[in-house]
Parts: sequence; structure tokens; C-alpha cells
Amino acid sequence: MTFLEAVRQKFFAFLIVLGAAMVLSSVAFRFLDFGHGELKFIADFGFGGMFLFGSILAVVMTAQLFFAEMDNRTALTLLAKPLSRAEFLIGKFFGVWMILGLFVIILSALLGLVLWGRAQELSLLAEQSGRVAPDFSFRGLGIFAVLQWLRLSVVAAIVLAIAAAARTFLFAVILGALTVVAGQLQWIAQDVLLKPTESMLYKSILWLTSRILPNLQQFNIGDALVLDSGTVAATSIGWVILSGLLYAAAYLFLGALVFRRREI
Amino acid sequence: MTSAISVRHLTKDFKMGLRGLKLRAVDDLSLEIPRGQVYGLLGPNGCGKSTTLKIVLGLVAGTSGEINILGFPSATAEARRRTGFLPEAPYFHKFLTGRELVRYCAQLSGVSAIKMESAVEAALGLAAMTEAASRPIGTYSKGMLQRIGLAQAIVHDPELVILDEPTAGVDPVGAAAIGRMIRTMRDQGKTVVLCSHLLGQVEQVCDRVAIMDHGRLVLEGRVDDVLAQRDRHLMTIEALTPDARVAAESALAAHGARVRSVTHPRRSLEELFRELVTGSRDA
Repeated sequence: MTFLEAVRQKFFAFLIVLGAAMVLSSVAFRFLDFGHGELKFIADFGFGGMFLFGSILAVVMTAQLFFAEMDNRTALTLLAKPLSRAEFLIGKFFGVWMILGLFVIILSALLGLVLWGRAQELSLLAEQSGRVAPDFSFRGLGIFAVLQWLRLSVVAAIVLAIAAAARTFLFAVILGALTVVAGQLQWIAQDVLLKPTESMLYKSILWLTSRILPNLQQFNIGDALVLDSGTVAATSIGWVILSGLLYAAAYLFLGALVFRRREI
Repeated sequence: MTSAISVRHLTKDFKMGLRGLKLRAVDDLSLEIPRGQVYGLLGPNGCGKSTTLKIVLGLVAGTSGEINILGFPSATAEARRRTGFLPEAPYFHKFLTGRELVRYCAQLSGVSAIKMESAVEAALGLAAMTEAASRPIGTYSKGMLQRIGLAQAIVHDPELVILDEPTAGVDPVGAAAIGRMIRTMRDQGKTVVLCSHLLGQVEQVCDRVAIMDHGRLVLEGRVDDVLAQRDRHLMTIEALTPDARVAAESALAAHGARVRSVTHPRRSLEELFRELVTGSRDA
């Protein structure tokens, strides 16, 4: 139901169109490659679109779908059925999870198509000039898509936990967006923790927040997976997936605990 | 036999702001709603009846007190499996058809796959929504929304049906149709709890009523008992001439009785309206 509701929304279509436009336009902007290879530029452009619009989708759509149930009072009808609060929240999560999956699959497929097309052209040019043709990995792109789906799912779980406690849609969206930014900047906390000069109190606070908030940067290994295939160990990918699953489960559990006490 | 709903010493305080002020919405309420009857819960806005219903349904936690539904604690899934609920001014996903909504609610309520189609069609039939069941909910009139709401509330054949303002915003013909559905449910042995401001309808369909004010119960009993004025009598007389009236008054005065008023019987405006517009049933 949540998926059907979400997929019908113009907001979803709008973000898909924006993301697709960003991926497709990467070919036109490839002259701005800042000295990197063309495929790397196209891939980075696509990864950026997926990250930006995917994050907006995960934060706004999750909060919107939750608060639509509260504000339109459809939750009254549903929760008067023999349906637990946890089941309701998990249902919302999986609806959002499916819509995020659709988003990632569409953009990844488009990115793969653009990369493949340009790689074909570059191969011809390389053959003519006797240079090594640039290449990319479809398998790596597939793994990257799975990691992005997981990253966005973690964000959705966090936003659901926030929404379960929040009174307004706006509060949930703002706090959710801040959480995404904090998750992306985890490397600053990691850097500080490694420095011996910082105070113990400061380091303790950073250590705690770095455990509470997931390190969303760990999912951004697109370059290594797609362009430098084979440079990322399977165990590293496994740990990233495990960490994402644990964070998503922990935030869903927290959300369910908070939502149990909410007055509808 | 246990009551359909048993409320004992229920109190609900809402916290107001950060200073710990409390608003008492329900104040030491005790109620026993018997099975198999239509029970009206009445009261002005803000009297605590909606809060009481929400606590009964487990949507809001009471501050103190105990509630059982058909012998089960009210917050349990077991209690809710036996309960159907139509909220006030129901809102449903507009992209679903009526049948899809009722089927979805049947799934949530644990109706088995084997019984699904027959349960959905029976609920749609009782709510007189079979014909419109294939249309998207977004195209429904207010009366149809209430009726499809009723269908989703009863699709799992609950023993207890709670209706919060089921006729709010519905025209008299539609309201009368909902009244008939309520009586049908009672005839099927269900307990119906009706929360309404339309006192005329409550009077017509309810067996018992409770009136709340400021979170407290101020009156409870059978409708006939609470409305009857036992010290007064009403006679309806045909062809009463002035002479006959004087004679009747004298005869009554001789026995110590006094005629307080003589009026013509009236139909209610609702009855007249329904009589005139029977063809316009919730178009």
C-alpha cells in the first residue's frame, strides 16, 4: 500500500526525472572533467545524482508517507485493526524501501547505459590511436546500486524513527536532512578521534555520535567498484552491508519503541 | 456473559506544555456496555467521548483505569480482532477502489484467503456499496465514504462495531440508510456503539444511551426509561370538537387530573424530507 501510494506521487516522478536528467546530461558536461578520465567524470556525475536526489527522496518521501497517515487520520482506521504499531512502522519502511529500490535501479540502469555507450565510443578512438581503451564494470555498478539502496534505506529508517517521535512533518524533514549531512561528514569525527591532542570529553562525544549515527561515506565506493574493478575486497563490501543492515534494524526498532507510546 | 465493553474508573489527563499542567479529558468513567445492543454515547464537543473511544480502541493510553472488550484487555490484538471501527469523517486512500479498500482491511483483520471474497462481498452488500465498489474512492460522495467506511469496519465480522459520527455530513436519506444498517447489525447479534450528535437518530436506533459532560458520565440507561416522563400522558384523539374537549377536561378534573396542553401531532422534518426525496438516495 505504501509503495502504491508513493509510486503514484508526482514528487517521486519529479525526482526520477531530475536524477535521470543529471545522469544523461553527464555526457554533455564531460568536457568539465577536471583532468580525470571521461568515464570517471560520467560515473561521478551519476553517483552524485543518485546521492542527492536519492537522499531527498529518502528523507522527504519517508516523512511525507508517515505524516500523511497521521494527518489524514488513515492511521486511525489501520491501527484500530489487529495490527501492531511495529508492524505499521515496518510496513511503512518496506514501502519506502521498495520505492528507493525502484529509484536506484532506474538511475543505475541509465548510468550503465550512458557509461556503456561512451565506453564504446572511447574504445573505437583508443583503437585508432593505439592506446588502451578505458573500461568499467557492470558488476561493480550492480554492487554499487545495492550499496546505494542500502544507504538510502538506512536514511529512511532514521527518518522513520525521527517521525515516530516528531509532531510535524517539517521537523522530521529538517532533522532527517541534518542526519544525512552528519552521516556524510563522519570522516571529520574519525579524523579527530585519531588525533592525540583533542580533549577526552570532546573525543568521547565524537565517539558516541559516530556510533549513534551511521557513517554514510562508507557506501560511497562507486569509483573503486565501477572503474577500478577488483580493488575492493569482498569482505569490506560485506562489512559495509552488515553495518547498513544493523543500523537500519536498530533505527526501526527504536522507531517502533517510540511509536508504541505515541497517541494517535 | 461478559459485557461487550467494560470501562472501570477510566481517567485520562493530557499534559499541557512544559510546565506540567494537565487537562483532564476523562474523569473516573465507569461503563458497562451490554452485548447485542445499540449503545449511544452522547455529549457536547470536548466532553471526552472521542477520547474514551480512542482509549477503548488502544489508540491512546489511559492515565488510569481498566478497559476490557469482550473480556480481553482493550489494547490487545485479540480485542481488536473482534472490533470494527468507523472513525469520524473517514479518509481513505483515494486511488483504491471501494472493493480494494475493503479487501485490504480484511487482510489486515486476519480474514483467511478462502473466506476473503465472500466476506468482502457481504460487507459491501450490507453497506449497499456493491454497485459502486469498482469505482475509485476519490469519486465517492460523503455518504458513500461513510458507507464504505462501514463496510471496512465489518468485513471481518466483528462482534463489536464502534461508529464515531457515522452520519456526520450525510443527508437524511443516507443517514436513514445507515440507521437501517445499524439495526441490521443488531439483528445479526452484534453490539454497536454509536457516537453521534444527531440525537433524533440516536433516539431511533439506540437501545441504551450514556451522556457524558466534562469527562464524566451524567446519565446512563435504556432510551425508553431515560426519555419517558412517567407523571405525564399523551393521548391522540380524532375528531375532537370544542364541546367534547370541555367535557373531557371536566371529566379529567373530576378525577384530579389537569390537561396541560392540547396540540396537533407533528411529523418530524426528517420524516417529511425522507418521504419527499426517497428517490434521491445518495446519488
